[in-house]
Amino acid sequence: MIFRKKDCIAMILAGGQGSRLMVLTENTAKPAVPFGGKYRLIDFPLSNCVNSGIDTVGILTQYQPLQLNEYIGHGQPWGLNSTNGGIHVLSPYSKSQNSEWYKGTANAIYQNISFIERYNPTNVLILSGDHIYKMDYSKMLSMHTKHKADCTIAVLEVPLAEASRFGIMETDKSGRIVAFQEKPKVPKSNKASMGIYVFRWEILKKYLVEDNEDPDSSNDFGKNIIPKMIDDGHRLFAYDFEGYWKDVGTIESLWQSNMDILGEKPLLDMRSPKNRIYARNYAHPCSYVAPGAEIVNSYVAEGSTVYGKVYNSIISTGCVVEEDAEIHNSFIMPNAVIERRSVVRFAIIGEDALVHANAKIGDDPAFYAKKDWGIAVVGKDKVVAQNKIMLPKEIY
Amino acid sequence: MKAMGVIFSNIYDNTLAQLTNVRTVASLPFGGRYRFIDFVLSNMSNSGIFNIGVITKYNYRSLMDHLGNLSEWDLNRKNEGLVFLPPFVTGNTGVYKGKLEALHSALNFLDNPDYDYVVVCDSTVLCNLDLRSAIQQHVKSGSDVTILANREPFDPPKKHPLIMKTDPDNHVKEIMIDTYVQPDCYVGMGMFIFGRKHLVDVLEETAAKGLVHLERDFLQRKLNENAISISVFPVSGVVLRNEDIRSYYANNMALMKKEVRDDLFNADRPIYTKVRDEAPTYYGAGNHVINSLIADGCKICGTIESSVIFRGVLVDETAKVSSSIIMQDARIGKGAQLECVILDKNVTVNPGTVLKGTPEHPVIIQKGETA
Repeated sequence: MIFRKKDCIAMILAGGQGSRLMVLTENTAKPAVPFGGKYRLIDFPLSNCVNSGIDTVGILTQYQPLQLNEYIGHGQPWGLNSTNGGIHVLSPYSKSQNSEWYKGTANAIYQNISFIERYNPTNVLILSGDHIYKMDYSKMLSMHTKHKADCTIAVLEVPLAEASRFGIMETDKSGRIVAFQEKPKVPKSNKASMGIYVFRWEILKKYLVEDNEDPDSSNDFGKNIIPKMIDDGHRLFAYDFEGYWKDVGTIESLWQSNMDILGEKPLLDMRSPKNRIYARNYAHPCSYVAPGAEIVNSYVAEGSTVYGKVYNSIISTGCVVEEDAEIHNSFIMPNAVIERRSVVRFAIIGEDALVHANAKIGDDPAFYAKKDWGIAVVGKDKVVAQNKIMLPKEIY
Repeated sequence: MKAMGVIFSNIYDNTLAQLTNVRTVASLPFGGRYRFIDFVLSNMSNSGIFNIGVITKYNYRSLMDHLGNLSEWDLNRKNEGLVFLPPFVTGNTGVYKGKLEALHSALNFLDNPDYDYVVVCDSTVLCNLDLRSAIQQHVKSGSDVTILANREPFDPPKKHPLIMKTDPDNHVKEIMIDTYVQPDCYVGMGMFIFGRKHLVDVLEETAAKGLVHLERDFLQRKLNENAISISVFPVSGVVLRNEDIRSYYANNMALMKKEVRDDLFNADRPIYTKVRDEAPTYYGAGNHVINSLIADGCKICGTIESSVIFRGVLVDETAKVSSSIIMQDARIGKGAQLECVILDKNVTVNPGTVLKGTPEHPVIIQKGETA
């Protein structure tokens, strides 16, 4: 078969189980977790690719792929249903020898070398499927080319106090990375890796093969490949990213990131036509806001019906908020129903969940000691009984 | 039992004049996110009719733009799909005067032996129905033509283009054109089922005689001559006829009723439309919204009451919109007051502007204008 050579193709790592999202990822892959009223996490890297002119994307997935596969379809919502390239969901498969699951981020790419080789790309962009941000990768790519780099890593300046949670880059004046520490106790810089890498494919391939032959390696980009490349004296550069970026690997960060799109001047602007995020759209009619409803500083998506009161919250497609129900500072995922007189505060309500009348879910952090408070979560498809009280931090 | 579809995109262009200057009536926006044609196309697609011809006359650029690659309606298919049937102008023919003439120029499309039946539809009558059951009834009845029809109230008196008296078995006994509804009559919905071969024969015959009007020159005349059998397929659900500005306005307002929405947007048979990739709607400081339909991509800081708001509309602080239809990307400035207004696409309403119409005569601001 003949494939047009590509300058750059993207590989999205979407294989994680997302166990820290608990009930929200019990039956679904983390990249398929809903966000912002009508999106799913995978929409961000996919839309960023399309908006950056990248038309060939591989999604590496191995955990509960059904919903993700169905959501991706043939890639039409993102304009990735192209003849040359397009979108490919890459699951682990049995080979004549050594059939195995993806063991680590580097191993996942290693197992798909033949897919990448078909396009004979100059560079490969490695992305994560669970980060919320808008980014033009083409700027990073041109920086990569200009530096004649072997690898370019996007970095974000974080407060020094938080730096020990990230992979930290030390750079010289030209931006060249001289040292890399994964979650250092005493960070020497505040440039945190965002998990976005551009590699010269030739070099990466060599390292992936070597890494796979090393039985002591944990087959991870951050722990193995990148430190080794620095040690070997390759040209690695940091690309400074300015803007909103969030890893939504935990309940708290997923909730926070949803709250970050609210407000007149939100941290993450979903309304701006610049670098728009695309999503698969379903045939919902308009949302209906009934007499007696009140909606303040909130997003309400199509297909939802609001009779009750909604404050500082996100109501996703197909939700129903019945009479006298109250939603405060919460993220309600698609097709959830909140029945009358139920009160939801500082909570995440999962897809297709049903909260019966008079339930109380979550509460305001102002009334609790810091250690006792957290986001209350109702999982996908769960049914909350009438009059049920769920305290903050409670997961159902 | 395989059926194909034909849709007329330009019927009633004249009576909805202010809104159809720049588009076919089929691409007239409705209900916050739809165009008229979405309803008939979705009905066909949901009923397994995937070979569809859309007869166009003029101004059909916006229709082509709306339909795009047809994937939203599941009509981007290998072997079937949707074709545009623009006027086939050969010397003296020009554009069509009536449905018979229009169908006659679609003869090439209709001349397809893979199909047994043809469903011929206007795009102005909005409903959500399973056409398969209508086709089944057509086959079972053995009639030459089946007309989809419903009962309409006869008080207050209202004119309709096609009224039928039937026997208890729904066989049509009398056809009346452009007259007032009477008790126990069915009102045609502009949707007809023909045997495909029969329709081709009819079109060749009527073209030879220079007949143009489907209902008057063919259905009524043939029935009076006892030369044809016609059945009614009774429709009991919501039927929204858009014949003029007044009914168009009233039909949009009818969507505030839950029973109308539940029927028209039946979740088992979704109505599809073009995707615009808008963010959900943001309800900002100072907003007060009641009894309204709101599409995605809006930013609302003002007051909205009993209105239909399309995608991407901005309602600024202290603006007040009531009983109005606001089409996509309108900008309504601070302190503006709109009551019984239809704003076409991309209209800008300057701060402080007051526009007030009545349900019978809503104020209409045309596409792209500033008020």
